[in-house]
Amino acid sequence: MIKDTSIEIRWHGRGGQGAVTSAELIALAAIHEGKFAQAFPSFGPERRGAPVLAFNRIDAENPIRIRSGVTKPDIVVVLDPGLVTLINVTDGLKPGGCLVVNSTRTVEDLQQEFSGDWKLAVVDAASIARELLGVNIVNTTMVGALLKASEAVKFDSLKAPLGERFGARAGANFEACMRAYNSTAISQITTTGTKKPKSFAVEKMPGWRELLVGCMVTEPGNTKRFGTGDWKSQHPVWDDKKCIKCGICSLVCPEGCIKPNNEGYYRANLFYCKGCGMCAHECWTQAIKMVEGT
Amino acid sequence: METLAIYASRLVTERDYFASGHRACSGCGEALALRYVCKALGRNTIISNATGCMEIVSSPLPETSWEVPWIHTLFENASAVASGIESGIKALKRKHGYTKEVKVVAMGGDGGTADIGLQSLSGALERGHDFIYVCFDNEAYMNTGIQRSSETPFGASTTTAPAGKFSMGQHTQKKNMPAIAAAHNIRYVATSCSSYPFDIMNKIEKAKQIKGPSYIHILSVCPTGWRTASNLTITMGRLAVETGIFPMYEIEDGKYTLNFDYPKLRPVEDYLKVQGRFRHLTKENTAEIQEHVLTEFNRIRLLAGKKIK
Repeated sequence: MIKDTSIEIRWHGRGGQGAVTSAELIALAAIHEGKFAQAFPSFGPERRGAPVLAFNRIDAENPIRIRSGVTKPDIVVVLDPGLVTLINVTDGLKPGGCLVVNSTRTVEDLQQEFSGDWKLAVVDAASIARELLGVNIVNTTMVGALLKASEAVKFDSLKAPLGERFGARAGANFEACMRAYNSTAISQITTTGTKKPKSFAVEKMPGWRELLVGCMVTEPGNTKRFGTGDWKSQHPVWDDKKCIKCGICSLVCPEGCIKPNNEGYYRANLFYCKGCGMCAHECWTQAIKMVEGT
Repeated sequence: METLAIYASRLVTERDYFASGHRACSGCGEALALRYVCKALGRNTIISNATGCMEIVSSPLPETSWEVPWIHTLFENASAVASGIESGIKALKRKHGYTKEVKVVAMGGDGGTADIGLQSLSGALERGHDFIYVCFDNEAYMNTGIQRSSETPFGASTTTAPAGKFSMGQHTQKKNMPAIAAAHNIRYVATSCSSYPFDIMNKIEKAKQIKGPSYIHILSVCPTGWRTASNLTITMGRLAVETGIFPMYEIEDGKYTLNFDYPKLRPVEDYLKVQGRFRHLTKENTAEIQEHVLTEFNRIRLLAGKKIK
């Protein structure tokens, strides 16, 4: 019997945050060390802002034959703070594994959310990325945090793939990686059995027998039930003193979710708002501001 | 008057036939253009939609964003299906006394129009079916991950025409799809852009009044594929028109009208430098693009009976 020496990593992020790039960097670094590695995203109609998954497998000794998605990861990395309360990120996480989260909250505060027998590592990756890279793309920053939490690959092995992937921006990305490595806070959670696991809403899909012939949908506009609001990282806030009630915001919203209220001032329905910021950009009087958070 | 014009948004109907909850990227210019098109079309419409971004994001079975009758077709047969529906309605009117006025609309992206669906579109235009074809041109196959199409502009970097040491990205010019449609001698051809809501709605209104085929080509800004910030979607469309890269014109019964002309066009650099897909371009490339844009714009100006400046 071959000893199982593989490490499996699952990345939770949003389209455009760079979860796939992170997974590729880790795989390249592992290959650089002479290990076997895989990196791949889960394929679906995922778009900018939608929750996405990416996977890694690293094996120091044996070639990797398995090609399926990771369901029982050793490490889970969450790139977007909002996802922690939205989907069950620790689903299938092995005991003794570790969870790495990008959050502005402290590790003591965040560990109240979880139960299980694994490590929790928290880093404020968004602030690091904004400061050093100028954008809220936390892929390389979270790679740094991951390496602090677990010795999946050596830190120095990252240099070559980073240089290859980012060219002129490799220096800043490496610095972000290093800063995250140094500022990640880690705590051990051992609360198995003391806390009931949280339940998460799962989208129920009809079976093939329940579908109409020809895949007809008889209820017009029923995507209205589906909230795209949790895709956003920023949301618009109106300053009614500046608002001239012109309605340009409601016209330029691709979601069609901005409507006037009883007083004639406009408000976005945050259930659908994807936080693109177009209303704020197009407002004549700059009455709209984009504020962090969903 | 100018100060009143900013309140024009309030005159647009609040009723949407393209429901919220669709899965388009945040800041999608194509979803925005589609909203305007559906507002202008109204409820007596049957839509045949080719595969593409707008089909994928609006119909995750068992859900749909559409509040008008809508059918998903393949890439290559949106116009053929629309022809069939239109003929079916004609037959209903002839044999069963059906009286309702219904407009049939075919929609597709630039791939479904200029590449894969061109033959069925040409056939439908030539047969003279009473329908509107709307092309949402986001300048590549964005849905599957930014592969080049024949509508991808010169110099743009895509995943199948990547810029690098040996290539500067797309090395062919954008296919002139409105001219191909106009060559079928149809009564109405127009170009529009997702950043000009009233222009889109007026043109759809016009096309609705016409008996016979009409073709509308809408440049739809794609922040994901063009590599721009999602809040700049409207700005990017305006820049495309103001630099002359995408001239907005109508061809009514063969007569050209240039909708937006400027005494002096903005330099193309303003448009190119904001986008990640053009980041690699050299000064020479930009000069080449500038020259081509001016030639094309002057050609439209001449056709519209204007003096070349």
